[in-house]
Amino acid sequence: MASRILSQTSLKFLRNASKVSRQPAAPFSVGAVHSDKIDDELKKREAPLVPVDSMTQTHPHQSGVTISVTGVEDVGVISGVPEEHIKNRLVRICKPARNSMQSGSANTHHWEMEFESRERWENPLMGWSSTADPLSNLKVSFASEAEAIEFCEKNGWQWFIEVPKETKPKVKNYGVNFSWNKRTRVSTK
Amino acid sequence: MATVKAASVVTRQVRPILSLTQEDSRRRVLALYKAWYRQIPHIVSEIDIPKNQKQCQEKLREEFLKHKDVKDIRVIDMLIIKGQMELKETVTKWKQVGHVMAYWKDTVNKKPTDFLGKFLDGKD
Repeated sequence: MASRILSQTSLKFLRNASKVSRQPAAPFSVGAVHSDKIDDELKKREAPLVPVDSMTQTHPHQSGVTISVTGVEDVGVISGVPEEHIKNRLVRICKPARNSMQSGSANTHHWEMEFESRERWENPLMGWSSTADPLSNLKVSFASEAEAIEFCEKNGWQWFIEVPKETKPKVKNYGVNFSWNKRTRVSTK
Repeated sequence: MATVKAASVVTRQVRPILSLTQEDSRRRVLALYKAWYRQIPHIVSEIDIPKNQKQCQEKLREEFLKHKDVKDIRVIDMLIIKGQMELKETVTKWKQVGHVMAYWKDTVNKKPTDFLGKFLDGKD
């Protein structure tokens, strides 16, 4: 379209230029012949000009149009996951266990989902663990449990939540050893 | 352990893929079905599969009815796009005999239905 506009403007420019060149009546001017051709070209009926916006917004996905969708999103049928890995898989949503070394509570502040173990066996020769389950070692992290639940619902998996027990940290100070009511006092006798 | 099914029925505004209305998507589905149906005679004659037209038509119907309960317009659109791709792959013979025959799942072992069979299968 842009090229067409360009050609039209250049044609107009050419015509004007030829008119100008005709005025001095140069004996060897061929401007008259050319300008007739240009007039013919301009009279040609071509497809109407289309505004740029309408061309860029042809696809509904790109245009601002929205549709309303009701119910839980289910991408199970189009995700490509085999049916046997959607219908009867169980997902465990939990917080990862604390590292017993010096990490404190680091790396335990997110939620993870993992599938129940199935088709797992121990290699009879070396004792390595083997599996035929494609989803066995899949671990996905989420910031919150709601996100994990939404993901499972979307993919059509059954899920359950394992809520971690809140543990109260033990009081550990020297004075407790001599508490009068705690039975922590060691007899000197 | 608490197994919960979130029964939240929420209406959201989302961007469409192809169709804007249910009727729109319905028309697309029927168009795709007809396109497949009209290609079946050619598929049967062009590709060397041990199936006749009637069997192919039944399979086509079965494949479409498999997703009859899908309500989300966007999911329907994606299924239409995938169906269109499959059709093109079949008609242009990018699919070979084995790929076409995979619709019938002849080589897939049937799942056991009795208790002991399920137990030995180790999946359910």
